[in-house]
Order: sequence, then C-alpha cells, then structure tokens
Amino acid sequence: MKHKETTWGWMLAVDFFFAGMGGAMIALAGISYLFFGDALTATIGNFIGPIFVAMGAGFLVLELGRPLQAWRVFMNPKAILTFGAWNMTLAIGFGFVFASFRIASLPWAGWVWAQQITAVSSIITGLIVATYPGVLLGRHNARPFWTGPGIVSLFLLSSLLTGLAAHDLANSLFANTTNFSKLLAGLLVLQVVLWGLYIYMKCTGTTNREATIAQQWVNGDFAVGFWAILLGLGSLVPLIIYLLPSNPIMTLAGILVLLGGAWMRWMVVKSGEYRTWLPGEEFYLSRLPRGDEEFLKALK
Amino acid sequence: MARYAMVLDTRICIGCHSCTVACKINNDLPVDMIYNPVTTIGPTGVYPNLHMTHIPLLCMHCDNPPCVDACPTGASQQREDGIVWVEDEKCVGCKACVMACPYGARHPNLEVGIVQKCNFCMDLVDAGEEPHCVKTCHQRARIFGDLDDPNSEISLLLNSERSVRLLPELGTEPYVFYIMD
Amino acid sequence: MINGVNLNQDGVEIKKSVCYFCHNNCGLLAYVKDGQVLKVEGDDSYPVNQGALCSRGNINHLFLNHPNRLNHPLKRVGARGAGEWEQISWEQALDEIAAKLSELKDEFGAETLATAGGTLRTDDWARRRFMNLFGSPNGFHNAHLCWIPTFMVETAIYGWCPFEIDMGNSRCIVLWGQNPGASSMPEMRHLSDAKKNGLKIIVIDPRFTETAAKADLWLPLRPGSDSALALAWLNVIIWEGLYDQQFIENCCVGFDELAQHVREYTPEWAAPLTWLDPELIRAGARMYATHKPGNIQWGTAVDQIGKPGGATMHARALLRALTGNLDAPGSDLLTGPAQDFITDEEMEANEWLPDEQKAKQLGSDKYKLTTWEGYGRIAEITRSVWGKAPTAEWMCEAHPPTVFNAIITGQPYPVKALITLATNPINSYGQTSQVIEALRKVDFHVSMEYWMTPTAALADYVLPAASTLERPTITSTYGCSDFLLASQRVVQPLHERRTDYAFWRELALRMGQEEMWPWENLEEANYYRIYPLQYDVNSYDEFVERYRFHFPEREYYKYGRLGFATPSGRVELVSNTLAELGYPAMPTYVPPAENEVDDPELAQEYPLVLTSRGGIMPYHHSEHFQIKEIRFLSHEPHAQINPETASKLGIQEGDWMWIETKRGRIRQKAEVTQAVHPKVIATERGWWYPERKAIEPDLAGCMESNGNVLTSTAEEHCDPMGGSWANRGLLCKVYKTNGKDGM
Ligand SMILES: Nc1nc2c(c(=O)[nH]1)N[C@H]1C(S)=C(S)[C@@H](COP(=O)(O)OP(=O)(O)OC[C@H]3O[C@@H](n4cnc5c(=O)[nH]c(N)nc54)[C@H](O)[C@@H]3O)O[C@H]1N2
Ligand SMILES: Nc1nc2c(c(=O)[nH]1)N[C@H]1C(S)=C(S)[C@@H](COP(=O)(O)OP(=O)(O)OC[C@H]3O[C@@H](n4cnc5c(=O)[nH]c(N)nc54)[C@H](O)[C@@H]3O)O[C@H]1N2
Ligand code: SF4
Ligand code: SF4
Ligand code: SF4
Ligand code: SF4
Ligand code: SF4
Ligand SMILES: [Mo]
Repeated sequence: MKHKETTWGWMLAVDFFFAGMGGAMIALAGISYLFFGDALTATIGNFIGPIFVAMGAGFLVLELGRPLQAWRVFMNPKAILTFGAWNMTLAIGFGFVFASFRIASLPWAGWVWAQQITAVSSIITGLIVATYPGVLLGRHNARPFWTGPGIVSLFLLSSLLTGLAAHDLANSLFANTTNFSKLLAGLLVLQVVLWGLYIYMKCTGTTNREATIAQQWVNGDFAVGFWAILLGLGSLVPLIIYLLPSNPIMTLAGILVLLGGAWMRWMVVKSGEYRTWLPGEEFYLSRLPRGDEEFLKALK
Repeated sequence: MARYAMVLDTRICIGCHSCTVACKINNDLPVDMIYNPVTTIGPTGVYPNLHMTHIPLLCMHCDNPPCVDACPTGASQQREDGIVWVEDEKCVGCKACVMACPYGARHPNLEVGIVQKCNFCMDLVDAGEEPHCVKTCHQRARIFGDLDDPNSEISLLLNSERSVRLLPELGTEPYVFYIMD
Repeated sequence: MINGVNLNQDGVEIKKSVCYFCHNNCGLLAYVKDGQVLKVEGDDSYPVNQGALCSRGNINHLFLNHPNRLNHPLKRVGARGAGEWEQISWEQALDEIAAKLSELKDEFGAETLATAGGTLRTDDWARRRFMNLFGSPNGFHNAHLCWIPTFMVETAIYGWCPFEIDMGNSRCIVLWGQNPGASSMPEMRHLSDAKKNGLKIIVIDPRFTETAAKADLWLPLRPGSDSALALAWLNVIIWEGLYDQQFIENCCVGFDELAQHVREYTPEWAAPLTWLDPELIRAGARMYATHKPGNIQWGTAVDQIGKPGGATMHARALLRALTGNLDAPGSDLLTGPAQDFITDEEMEANEWLPDEQKAKQLGSDKYKLTTWEGYGRIAEITRSVWGKAPTAEWMCEAHPPTVFNAIITGQPYPVKALITLATNPINSYGQTSQVIEALRKVDFHVSMEYWMTPTAALADYVLPAASTLERPTITSTYGCSDFLLASQRVVQPLHERRTDYAFWRELALRMGQEEMWPWENLEEANYYRIYPLQYDVNSYDEFVERYRFHFPEREYYKYGRLGFATPSGRVELVSNTLAELGYPAMPTYVPPAENEVDDPELAQEYPLVLTSRGGIMPYHHSEHFQIKEIRFLSHEPHAQINPETASKLGIQEGDWMWIETKRGRIRQKAEVTQAVHPKVIATERGWWYPERKAIEPDLAGCMESNGNVLTSTAEEHCDPMGGSWANRGLLCKVYKTNGKDGM
C-alpha cells in the first residue's frame, strides 16, 4: 500500500512520446511542403504523424481512471489539458487531411490553396502538440524537476528530434532516401548541450528541492538512465552514426533516437513523483506499508 | 458569504493520528487513501536538548488552487466559501490535479477511477457541524471556521497568534494556517 | 446525509455508549437502526472527551462487526494449540466447564482454580463474586503493573489514593513516568488547556515523549532509577525548607525522623544513579514544591520497574504530603470511596471467602500489601473512616508469576484450572516463556475473548465475548472513584456473543450459587447499584438517557472532618501500616532490578538499559493489531535507539534488530532517534501478528516481537511490597539481524 498520491504512470510518458513525435511529424510535413517542396517527407511518414498523435491520445485515454468518460476532458476551456485535447484533435485532423493530398486519386488532391491552408494549420497545431507536454509540465510549481520554461525547450527539441528521426526512418524504409542526417546530428548536439545545461541549472538552481531531484539524475536513481541511455545510447551513439559519411546502419540511429526520446519522457514523468515534500512528509511516507504486507492481504 | 479555513495549532498537536483515522472511517476511504496525514519533525537537537513538532496536513483549500485550474473536465471546483472539491461524476481520473497540487492533497481512488480529496467535510459544514477531523481531535489542535466572520474562534485566533502557511512562495494562498511554537 | 448514511431517516436511534479501548472511556453516541450500528461519534456532552475520540474510538463500529471476531463458543478437538475447534452451544460449554471445575475442586480444593484478567476491561466484580463464592482466592490481573501497588502504598500512608486531580486550579504537575500525549488524550487536553493558564509541567521519563515535548522541564532519568530521584527530591524539599510547615505540623507524623532519614539522599548522591545533573534534580523538586497547589500524576512506569517499585511509590507519596498537596484545591484530591452508590467492592461478596481460603492466596506470603494480609488490614482502616474499602478485585490478588509457577511446578499446591478473561497474558504479562509454559501445561483452560489471541489459542474452550457496544457500562476508576459515568447497551450481543457478566452468572448458577445472583443481566445489576442515588428513574437505561453521570459535590479538606484513614489518623511520614506488614516505615534506596553497579558482569554482556511503555498510539496493549484501519498507521514494531549507539552497532533507521536480555530475544525495527539516551533501548511491547495463524508453535508470532519476552518476573526482581515485576530498567543488548533471521 503506497500512499495514493503518486504520479502519472508510464502510459502518460508514452502519450507524450507519441504525441510529441507525431505532432512534430505533422508540423515537419507542413514545413517541408511549404518551404522545401514536397519531396522531403514520405507519404507514409505524413500519415504516420497523425496516427502517432492519435496513438498518444489513446494512451492518454487509457491512463484515465474512467476511460469511457474521456470526452469530458474537453469541458474546461480554462484548463491547459482541455486546450491540449482540442489541439490534439485538430492536429490529427489536419495531419490526415494534409497527408491525403498526396493520394492522387482523391478529388481534392489538386486543390493547392487547400493544401497550403492545411499545411499552415498542420504546422501550427503540430508544433503546439510537440511543445505542449513541456508547457504542461513546466507549469507545475510543485514538481521541482519540471518547473520552469527550460522543460519546454527540451520537449520541443525532443519532439522535433523524434519527429525528424521518424520521418527519416519512414524515408529510408519507404522512399529510400535520408534527408535529415545533418539536421538530426545538429539537433542531437543541441539535445546533449541543453540537457547538460538543464541539469546543471537545476543542480545549482534557485531552490533546494530542484537541486535534490536533479542530483538524482547526476548520481542517484536516474543517473544510469540519464548518462547511459538518454545521453549515451539516445544521443551520442546516433550522433556518431549520423556523422559517418556513408553508413548502412542509419536505421539503427533513428531507432536509437526514438528510444532516447521515449526514455527521456519516462524519466521526466517519473521525476515528477518528487513533489516538494512538506515538513516530515518523507519520513511519514517511508513508514507506511508498501502494499504487499501480509496483514493487508490476510486481514479483512 | 463565508470563507472557510482551518488552523492547526502545532503547539498542542501530539501526533496521535486520530484525525487521520476519523477522516478515513467517516469518509469511507480505502486504507491507503489518507487525506490528512500527520507528520513528525524530530526530535531535533542532541539528547537531552530536544524539540519535536507534529504537522497535521490536509488540503489547503487554496484561494488560488492550481488543481482547479488544471482540471480539464471541470470536476474540480471551488465554492464561493472557498471549499475546493471534486464533483465525482465529472471526474475522469486524469490526475492533472494530482500533479498540480503542491500539497499532496489529491488521491486517485483506483476502485472508482476518480481522484478524491478532502472537501472540508462540506456536507457536515453545510449542516452546521464541524469536520470529522476537527471534532475527533482531543487536543482541539484543529480549529475550523469562517474567516469572514471577525468574531469566529478562528478569526480571533489568527488575529492574536502568529501563523504561517505551507509553501507560501508558490502563490497558492492556502487557507490552512499553522501556529508554530 | 453523512457518507451515504442518512442519520435522520426513520427508525434511527441514538444510544449513549462509551469507548472501552482504553481506561479513559470516552463517551460516544451510536446511531442504530434495526440492530445495526450505522455510525459512532464522540458525545459532546460527555465530560471526559467532550466529543473527541482518538483513532481507536473511531473504529468502534468496525470492531463490532469485524469478520475476525469470535462469534460462537468453541471447544478444542485437536491437540492444544493445533487450532482445531468444534462449534458448540453455550449450554454445552457451560455445562462441561461447570462439571470440570466441580470435579477439580473436589479433588484439589477450590484454590486450584485461578483466573487471569487484564486491567479494567469488563465487569470484574462479577469475576470476584464468582471466585469468592466458589472459594478460590486465586483471581488476579496484571494490575500489579498498573496502578494497584501505587494505590495500596498511598492508601497505607494517607488513607486513600489521591488519584483525582483538581487540574483546573493547579499550578504545577509532575508526570512521573506517564505519557498522556500517547496514553491518555483526554488528560492531555486538560494539560494543554491548563498550560495556557500557566501550569508548569514536569516530565520524568527516559524518553523524549509526545508529552515531554510540551513540558517545562524534562528529567530523562535512567530507567528504573526512580527511587533515587524521589529520595533526592525529598531531600531537596526538606533540606531547602520547601515543605508546607503548617500541613506537616497539623496533619503529619514523623517529620523529624524522615528528615534525618533522607539526609544522605542528596541530588549529588542521586546524580550518578539517575544519570541526571544534580541541578536538574533540584530544579524539578523546587518547581514542584514552589508552584502550589500542584499534582503528581500517576503513570504506570513506577508500577513496572519491579524491585524498586514499592520504595519509589512510597517516596513519591511523601512528596505530596510534605508539600501539603493533598485534598486542597488544585492538589491531588482524597475523594475516598463513593458514599452514595453501591461500589464494586460491595458487589464482590468478599465476606463469603473463608479465612482459610484467603490464607491460601498464592504470593500472599511474600507480597503482603496487595494480598489478603495487607489489603485486609488497610480495608479495615478505610472502613473505619470512609465506611467502605477499596475494591478487592485488583487491590487484593494472587501474584500472577507465582500462580504461573504453581501451574508449572505444582508448588505450593497444584493449580489445575485457569480462566483467562479479558486478557492476553502471553503478550501482556511478564517473562513470556514462563506464561506460555504455564498455559501449555495447565490441565484445564477456558478463555473468553473477542479474538483468537495467542492466549485463547491455547485454551480448551474459547467463549465469544460481547464488547462495549453490546453491553452497558459503569465507569468508576476500578470502582474507587466517588463519581460514576453510565453508558447503555447499544445493541444486544451479536451472533452468540455474551457479556462477561452473563458468563460468570451462568457458571455460578451451575455451581449452586443461585441466590447470590439475583440480577439477570447487567442492566438489572447496574440499576441495583445506582438505586441508592435516588434519581427519579425506573431503570438503568432511563438513568443513562436522562442523567448519565453522577458527580457528588466536591468537598476539599475532608481530613479536617474525618482525619486520615491511617492508624494514627494522620499522614504517616513514618508508616505504621507498612511497618506492621514488615516493610520499611520510610522509603530507602532500592536500585533498578538489573543494573550496572550491582552486577557489572551482567552489564558487560548486556550493556544497554531496556525499557518499554504501554501508551503507544494507535494500539492498546496487545489489541487492535488485526484492524487494518488502525494497523496501517504503524504496521511494524519499532524500538528506539540513539544514533550514536546505532552507528556503533552498524544499525540504520528501519533495520530489523535483535534485542536480547537474559530471558530471550525479540526483533523490532530500529527507530534511530535522539529521544533516548545512548544507553537506553525503548521497545514497543504488545506485538503479535494476527495475520498469521494462531497455532503452535508460532501462535501468531507472539514471541517474535513481543516486548515481554524480555521482561523478568524472577522473585529477586519483584517488588517485595506490591509484587510488581520488572518491565523497565533491565539490562539488554542489541544487534543487527542477519539476512536470514531478520527476514
Ligand atoms: N512490557 C510491558 N508489559 C506491560 C505493560 C508495559 O507497559 N510494558 N503495560 C501493562 C499494563 S499498564 C496493562 S493495563 C496490561 C494490559 O494487559 P491486558 O489487559 O492483558 O491487555 P491485552 O494484552 O490488550 O489483552 C486484553 C485482551 O482482552 C480482550 N478483551 C478486551 N476487553 C474485553 C472484555 O470486555 N471481555 C473479554 N472477555 N475480553 C476482552 C482483548 O481482546 C485482548 O485480547 O499490560 C501490562 N503489560
Ligand atoms: N495508546 C495507548 N493508550 C493507552 C494504553 C495503550 O496500550 N495504548 N494503555 C492504557 C493503560 S492500561 C495504561 S495503564 C496507561 C499507561 O499509560 P502511561 O501511564 O502513560 O504509561 P506508559 O505509556 O506505559 O509509560 C509512560 C512512560 O514511562 C516511561 N518510562 C519507561 N521506563 C521508565 C522508568 O524507569 N521511569 C520512568 N519515570 N519512566 C519510564 C516511558 O518512556 C513512557 O513514556 O495508558 C492507557 N492508555
Ligand atoms: S487528532 Fe489532533 S492532536 Fe491528534 S494528530 Fe490530529 S491534530 Fe494532532
Ligand atoms: S491543497 Fe492542493 S488540492 Fe487543495 S486546493 Fe490547494 S492545490 Fe487544490
Ligand atoms: S482527475 Fe478528475 S478532478 Fe482531477 S483534474 Fe482530472 S478530471 Fe479533474
Ligand atoms: S476536513 Fe473532513 S475531509 Fe478534510 S481532512 Fe478533515 S475529516 Fe478529512
Ligand atoms: S482515548 Fe481513545 S481508546 Fe481511549 S476511550 Fe477515548 S476514544 Fe477510546
Ligand atoms: Mo494499565
């Protein structure tokens, strides 16, 4: 029995991952269409974007205590979650519509003005979906690891990175091109730098409680995940692969980037469990039963 | 209009956890849902010069409640008298409020899939009675009342004693006050 | 509507009941419909708790309906302790028990039946009445650990025990080995209120407790060294001239003798024995003596230090006398027994127990103050002054360890039958190995209980008891207060449960005691008891509903009118009664039962000092471990250890550790805390694990974490006056459990 004031579960991290990635994919598809001609992303990639966002939404619903009542999350216009939900819905819609312009057999395939409007809408809603988890978390004053604008850039960056990598994977798998290696490499460098900065700033940060949890990333519970998985496997290894002049394991790099992104979200969500403890609270919680005690099972 | 609040007098709280149990039993909460834990600080110092304080916690019924802002369904609400509560039917258990609350005052109830919290026993309060945890406290370390009434016990107490609030820097404006010694 | 239960619906009745989960007996209201208790809440108009209830008070209705409660009489079918039972009818159970007891009585004499109780849980005057009429003097409780010796020592010296505190008018209170912050919430409330008005609080306790944290002065003495401290206080008060000259001249005898006697007991002398700074000892004595009126509140600690207990109570009692803090406004009040209703003692039929049977009371040859010789003498004196005597059940009992020994050895005579009722001796009496051996060995064992406790598991018949809400209750402090608080039955006993009274009465009827039990149920008996109060009521229930309390008018300085109930009619600073019984007439220093000074060799092996306590929230002795809504608050046993000692032993917060004395070892988790001296270990005591099966040999883990495995009932550790054994101030060692034995 844990005191029931825990955090969001792994499904929320998965939601953030898919939604962020999908959102970025939708935005990137729009961007590549508007600014670089249509060739940079594969059709499949364009479709996968909204599918990912929808998958994210699915996980979000599953994470709910009462999934069948999910429609209710659209009801409070003042809540950022409600805004997020509406935006996600729009992004999925625009994403699909935008992707559909590639299907020549559809009657609207040639409506350029419509495609342009959807592209713009996709870019806006997609970017919001990509940024939104960071904004959501950053507003939590009570969760010292999240608090502040820093987390927004990290999530946006990671969304772009994973979205780009996903497009890249789609390209290489379905269109046999890889257009984004250099860009990905650049973003990976940025990811390493930004995370380094973020943790450093939290450690030396304004409040004790931020330092306490950030310390867990440096040399505590989250250290292996941070150094080895997020920075190592998820950033440096793919960075090296992307920088190799020509290489056969580009796919692996993409997968690693995705892995790193998912893992990062899991660790960030998990770090939210470190609330700002009230006086004496940690000791109190440590004395409560864990939940597997014999007395809880045997006694009525 | 009333503005309800609670004062916790740590000078006399003995950390007996009676309030915790009274709340749980009377609100029919599962064993692992604790609206109002009582923590212990200390003994601090070095034997034999010691100090010990107990801090009873509960929902702070913030005047500026981040939990309400965070709730996408509108289930979390603040009444005019300040009481922050959850309308069970509307809650989908998204836990946005859990994460938004700085005081650990919100608890997912897995059995029903919603999030629940201390509501200052508003049914009792509306019926003119005291919250369970207040009534049960032998020490009368918990004082509940209306801050808009300048002659209420709680107003008089807060006017005469120095009190603090928890995590005031977060801007939540708690309506739970602590008298420390 | 409250929690989905509409308390205003038709047919809901409110009954005035009481919580019986500790001696405070807080008043509660029970909402009942169709025999179902919907809810309980504190009774706002009840003077003790004024609407409040502690954690246990809140679970009264869960307790009533708990699925683990015993609901039917059980008869053992397998080996003892094998957990194999057959459900039988009450009639069969009572017939068979009565037959067996008659048979044993014929063969071994009535004294072969002993009965063990806990403390103040039920209507024990009925137990006594049964035993007296049956002819056995061998009823007992672990009351030896809980106030009774104190009561008798104080009564010997000034004619009654001044347990009633006039706190509203007091200026200083000494909490001597008492921790009301965890053991007596209602009292703590009064203390907090009085403190706001300037009451000084002095706490004498080796642990920094919930109460010490609120005190003006904390004296953390070596466990068991209270006798040295009390003597040093006497010394300070006399030799610094802080005593009440007038009271001593008018009301006491023996002052000069006492002054000379305590001359050597200076704070400097006491310092190394108590581990206290002499100035701190002085500060305490001065604070008490100069803030008048003041009180010394009873706490169990001194009743549980064993050997030095009697001498300590004696010295402590004299402190009140020297300061004139007796029966004056704001001081400790000598109320005497109730004058206007029928007391427990008057219900006990003590006159029916023949003298030759009284003489056979086990332990009465050694522990005279709390057995027939001392009690008889003291009762005679109190009767001559107050007209009544203290309750014999409690104040005059067989000595429990002596009875257990008699069961084991057959000496001085065989004890073949034991009824345990309202007690769990395995967890609450001393030196558990001895208790278990006796329970395994005794020929015939009947247990009346709420739960299948480790003790009940070793019975031949287990009988289901009705709990508070299922019976009416009179609260009157072991039958010794001059007031009473009355509560009514909320529901008839559920299932086949019966009241303890019904058990004794039914058994009595089968033993030919018909004429002596005219009251068919407790309401009738209680009505008989309150009838002399002359309220205009026709039943006990009506009394509860309309009046509920009876408080006689308070009269201070009663001694002016009556004198003191002692041989000299004064407060005896040199006690005639004690001298008559062969005890020192003035208190002398008695060292802790086990200590480093007298037995350095033992202290080498067991370098730490052990103590325990009863007042532990949320539990009541060995009770409530099976109630999840209580258990979650503290689901494992913890012993306190100072960080310095812990780090030397490689023990960290939350580690399981073994705590061992010469008698055995137990494991509890380390609570590493500054609250205790580096040489002190303070265990929790009542632990067993109801989640495990109560069958041999584990018996629901009753030996694993049970503090009483460590305590000592050896004759040399018992107080020669009152017979209490040593729970506190023993020598122990502590070490970390290794992976396997620590789980
Ligand atoms: N080491 C150590 N030992 C101690 C103490 C200590 O501080 N340290 N404290 C001592 C003190 S102060 C006391 S009072 C004793 C308490 O000793 P006990 O009174 O023996 O207390 P419990 O162990 O709680 O056992 C009481 C049992 O009676 C049952 N019971 C309760 N009420 C009733 C009733 O009305 N009828 C029937 N038939 N059964 C009932 C309960 O279910 C429980 O199993 O322990 C003493 N032992
Ligand atoms: N929660 C709870 N409340 C209870 C009970 C319970 O089991 N649980 N039991 C009830 C009963 S039956 C009783 S009798 C009362 C008992 O309640 P109290 O009279 O308060 O007695 P304890 O709590 O047993 O012990 C009081 C203090 O004595 C200290 N002490 C230990 N050794 C020594 C020593 O050698 N000398 C001195 N001076 N102090 C020492 C302990 O540290 C402890 O804090 O509580 C009643 N209330
Ligand atoms: S019931 Fe009162 S004294 Fe006990 S812990 Fe709660 S607030 Fe403190
Ligand atoms: S304490 Fe938490 S749950 Fe209560 S009002 Fe404030 S933010 Fe909301
Ligand atoms: S869990 Fe319920 S109350 Fe909390 S934010 Fe979600 S819908 Fe609102
Ligand atoms: S006010 Fe009511 S709901 Fe809130 S903690 Fe107290 S008893 Fe529980
Ligand atoms: S203090 Fe608690 S256990 Fe004792 S009588 Fe009162 S409510 Fe019951
Ligand atoms: Mo006791």
